[in-house]
Amino acid sequence: MFAQVLLDGVLMGGIYASFAVGFSLIFGVLRIINIVHGEFIMIGAFITYWLYKICGIDPFLTIPAAFILLFVFGFLLQRYVINRIIEAPEIMSLLLTFGLSLIIANIALLAWKGDYRLVNPEYAGANFNFATFTIPYVRLATFIFALVAVAGLQLFLQRTDIGRAIRATSQSKDGARLQGVSPAPIYAITFGLGAAVTGVAGSLLSMSFSVFPAMGGDYLLFSFFIVVVGGMGHIPGGLAGGFILGILQSLITNYVSAGLTYVVMFCILYFVLIFRPAGIFGKGIVE
Amino acid sequence: MVVLLAIVPIDISGYWLRLITFIFMWIGLAGSINLITGYTGYLDFGHVAFFGIGAYVTGIVMLKLGIPFFPAMFIGAVISGIMAVVVGIPTMRLKGAYFAIAMLVFAEGMKQVALVLEGITGGGNGLSLPIYTNYTFFYYCMFGAVLLTVGTTYWFERSKFGFALMAIREGELAAEVSGVNTFYCKLVAFGISAFVAGIIGGIYAYWMTFLYPGDAFNVLTTVHMIVMAFFGGAGTLLGPIIGASLLAIIEELLWAEFRYTYLIIVGFIVVIVVLYIPRGIVGLVREKVLAK
Repeated sequence: MFAQVLLDGVLMGGIYASFAVGFSLIFGVLRIINIVHGEFIMIGAFITYWLYKICGIDPFLTIPAAFILLFVFGFLLQRYVINRIIEAPEIMSLLLTFGLSLIIANIALLAWKGDYRLVNPEYAGANFNFATFTIPYVRLATFIFALVAVAGLQLFLQRTDIGRAIRATSQSKDGARLQGVSPAPIYAITFGLGAAVTGVAGSLLSMSFSVFPAMGGDYLLFSFFIVVVGGMGHIPGGLAGGFILGILQSLITNYVSAGLTYVVMFCILYFVLIFRPAGIFGKGIVE
Repeated sequence: MVVLLAIVPIDISGYWLRLITFIFMWIGLAGSINLITGYTGYLDFGHVAFFGIGAYVTGIVMLKLGIPFFPAMFIGAVISGIMAVVVGIPTMRLKGAYFAIAMLVFAEGMKQVALVLEGITGGGNGLSLPIYTNYTFFYYCMFGAVLLTVGTTYWFERSKFGFALMAIREGELAAEVSGVNTFYCKLVAFGISAFVAGIIGGIYAYWMTFLYPGDAFNVLTTVHMIVMAFFGGAGTLLGPIIGASLLAIIEELLWAEFRYTYLIIVGFIVVIVVLYIPRGIVGLVREKVLAK
């Protein structure tokens, strides 16, 4: 029983990590806490839902669509709106992304109503037994896809020229500029990339959880928790943070009460911020 | 103006009395968040927590201990203030972004606490307070809360402590090296701001006579406080008063029938304020006057 609870937590943790890394990447490079993050997840989930519902496309095949559409959306949002206040005090970027999040979530509510929707292909309920564990196929597949997304992002940042330019900008904006990297397009690409990976996570989430316009709020807070615990702007830390939250939630739900998630999360945040403000590995950005 | 508002309730109908009392409540709440966010630059996404704590503590103390309303309200507000200082200790050391979202988690956590502690708070069934239907009384209570908020803001505007806070907002490091104990000042401002929110929560509890965790800790309340303060002009005396009055009237006109449209409009107000009038309506008017 206990081992099964842990396993459920790990499977969840993979998806959690995949939606937190985008948040971490955007913070690491642009130094903004992106409140629209939850809405990126919601949009990704709805892209999968509608393509599945209307066109009958298998949910897993909708992942590239979520990636591309959210990249374009994130890119344009940064380029034409958020970039205007990139040099302003941080409270301005918090407020701006908060306003955008209100607009997007409520347009979605107006258009799609508040109903809870499900993505349920025939294989949705199927699972297999391995040793003493019961593993749903969908959870395992989404777990693998989530890890692939995180690894892909990390590889992109390490191995490509654009990835290097992004990392350079994150380390020092002026240093990058001296090397011929112009920050404005890098900001837009980073924001687009962060949105795209988050959209993929939303798409994956829609296969296990209900899809509704206000779903973003909880996931924003989860992302924040993961990223603070793992270290802001540190992508491998986000992976660890995701597993920690996944396991923690599974334990709380099974042994304490599902209604206390935020209480436990806040207590942990409280002590992490006192004793390990750079995350449990000490590799995050502290300002 | 103050005298006019003080004699107004003598002959107006119930609808107007209720509406104006609500506007007072919003002016007080917007003014309360303005004390921390407007003067120090620390955006509090969980400010409703202090309103909710004030409301619940007032209700619980009145019901379980039989203490009369005013001392109960005071106890609620003091506990709100103390909670703010305790929560502020780790979160206010870092830059504002951490504070903003950690506070949002805090408010959601407090909502869960109110839901889980059924024996004390009534949990999901809600908490019913002693019924008192003298609405003129609540008009004056909220009016008093407005005077308290405005008075405190005026003190911030004029005192050495207020200048220290504004120095933090304009540049925390510079304030620190100029000899301001920034951490201490932020904590005190946060405590005062939460105390004011707690007072208003207490009045709200007795006025509504029924508390429910989803209402008392509603994240939309925080959204309103922030938007009102910034729309009017954060970090000014008149800003929250103007912003709260305007937005409360817009809400009254739109909320019932066009709920989502109303929130979309609120979102656009935030975006427009940030991009075009970062000092709010008060700042805009000041610029126009100075330009002449």
